Amino acid sequence: MTRDLMKILAFLKRDFLSEVSYRISFIFQIVGIFFSLLAFFFVTKMIDPTTEGLNGIPPFEWLLVGLAFQYYFSTALYSFSAKIRNEQLLGTLEAMLVSPTPTSMVIFSSAAWDFTYGAIRVLVYLLFATLVFGVQLHTNSLGALLLGVLLTFLSSAGLGILSASFILYFKRGDPINFFLSGLTTFFGSVFFPVEQLPVSIRWVSDCLPITWSLRIVRGSLLQGLPSSELHEALAYLLVLTAILLPLGILFSRVAIRKAKREGSLVQY
Amino acid sequence: MSHAVEAFELKKSFTRKRSVKELLTHPFRKAEQIHALRGVDLHVRSGEIFGLLGPNGAGKTTLLKIFSCLVLPDSGRAVLGGEDTVHEARVKPQLGLVHSDERSFYWRLSGRENLRFFARLYDVPGREIESRIDYLLEQVNMVDAADRRFADYSSGMKQRLAISRALLHDPPILLMDEPTRSLDPASSLALREFIRERLHERDGKTIILATHNLREAEALCSRLAILVKGRVRQVGTVAEVRRWGIEERRYRFEVAAWPPRIDARCTVVADEPFEDGRRVTISLDADSSLDGALRALIAAGVVIRSCERLEPDLEDAFSRILKSEPAEDDA
Repeated sequence: MTRDLMKILAFLKRDFLSEVSYRISFIFQIVGIFFSLLAFFFVTKMIDPTTEGLNGIPPFEWLLVGLAFQYYFSTALYSFSAKIRNEQLLGTLEAMLVSPTPTSMVIFSSAAWDFTYGAIRVLVYLLFATLVFGVQLHTNSLGALLLGVLLTFLSSAGLGILSASFILYFKRGDPINFFLSGLTTFFGSVFFPVEQLPVSIRWVSDCLPITWSLRIVRGSLLQGLPSSELHEALAYLLVLTAILLPLGILFSRVAIRKAKREGSLVQY
Repeated sequence: MSHAVEAFELKKSFTRKRSVKELLTHPFRKAEQIHALRGVDLHVRSGEIFGLLGPNGAGKTTLLKIFSCLVLPDSGRAVLGGEDTVHEARVKPQLGLVHSDERSFYWRLSGRENLRFFARLYDVPGREIESRIDYLLEQVNMVDAADRRFADYSSGMKQRLAISRALLHDPPILLMDEPTRSLDPASSLALREFIRERLHERDGKTIILATHNLREAEALCSRLAILVKGRVRQVGTVAEVRRWGIEERRYRFEVAAWPPRIDARCTVVADEPFEDGRRVTISLDADSSLDGALRALIAAGVVIRSCERLEPDLEDAFSRILKSEPAEDDA
């Protein structure tokens, strides 16, 4: 266990060192977050705060949480497949896969930095929100919030691994990413409440982990709801995680086996 | 005699990728199979440098990938250190792979940072990582360049770092895929010396070297296998492979004078003045012996100053082996 943890830390350190070697880019990204928030701050002034589905949350705050977590979800979706692709291009995948570290561990750990960086970005969003835009964040259901974030991480990792497996299996572009990214953005209550959609298609929203993640985060941080009122969303998220994560792991095993049989594991 | 690496009837085929045009014009046509290995048997002894020679597409890299657990064979078995390669967890700690691919590092990290990362993946215990890296960098003469970015390294330095990486966990078996491919002659020579003197003679590693550089194979390997279109055509010591397909033996004599005729079944293939005498090369067929030739020369009053056997060229042997390939392999 400790050895596996040290391996994940080694991946984190490797990517951190690469990232800080592009210091300017890092600074520009932070500045970029600020300006996008500034734009949304003024855009949301045009939105009626009594719009159905906002649940009394001011539009800017509602959108801010959606934006922060949507980035996190996209990271999860693209990270595994993008990292594997990148390692194939760099020629480093073969060197990693010939090591005693299991292939599944290599794939999982390769996205560690992206997930960490995604979490840092979420924190930067929230910091700007509180320090610059005066958003009041609640902390009275912190336990439920943390559990929600953990389940968000696991369910999105499941989707990400599924997507990486697709690339390993078919050696083609990734329609899962394209499909899920579109679904998440449109049905996931990121930019507008699902209540604005026709009733007949709202069920799609219930099948996406991001919908429940955002309910938990908005409910906890912005509405200050007690944990008991977040149980339903947590239960849905738990069920989706229990389906997506094992499915991702299962498909990754099938894909790795097939790629090894075909000799395409390290090709791009 | 213990064997470090063995292959038993290994077969591997790949499906050739079809273009979009082919898919549209012949959607139901069966994809073409490329037979990379057609039943390879190999037995590499512990502690030897074994060369895998062959033209492009002979199956050398596929064989190394099967030994490295990167590719699964269609049939047959590959065994490293007594373990079947299907048991990755038991095989991988025993092997190190040196790629010919220069890119296989993180270019924005230093050599040392790269090795630290791979040391974790290769299960080097945390407290030993720094000392192991220092030791290896010293072994490959990279101490001064260790903290420079990998991107700034020369091809020779990149290759030496790749060898350090393969040695991080001190494996008994090293697989090297054309390790000197991108190196200049001086760097190639230095690397060959390192492989022979340190890795082979001092550390006793078993090394499988895939190359199409015949000189390199000749300089390093104790035994060779020549692979052609997925089949092992010849295995043996360098001398055995050189003599393959040759009935005659050639000897070079340095003599004071050569008689116009001698009573021995030999043919003079070269005769040239040398210092105050002559240098004569003779060819003996399979039925003739050197003893007989020597007796005939002495009987003819020839004063022999020296006599040496001329080994056939490996390049010629390689070419003979390629030409001898059975026709069914082309199918």
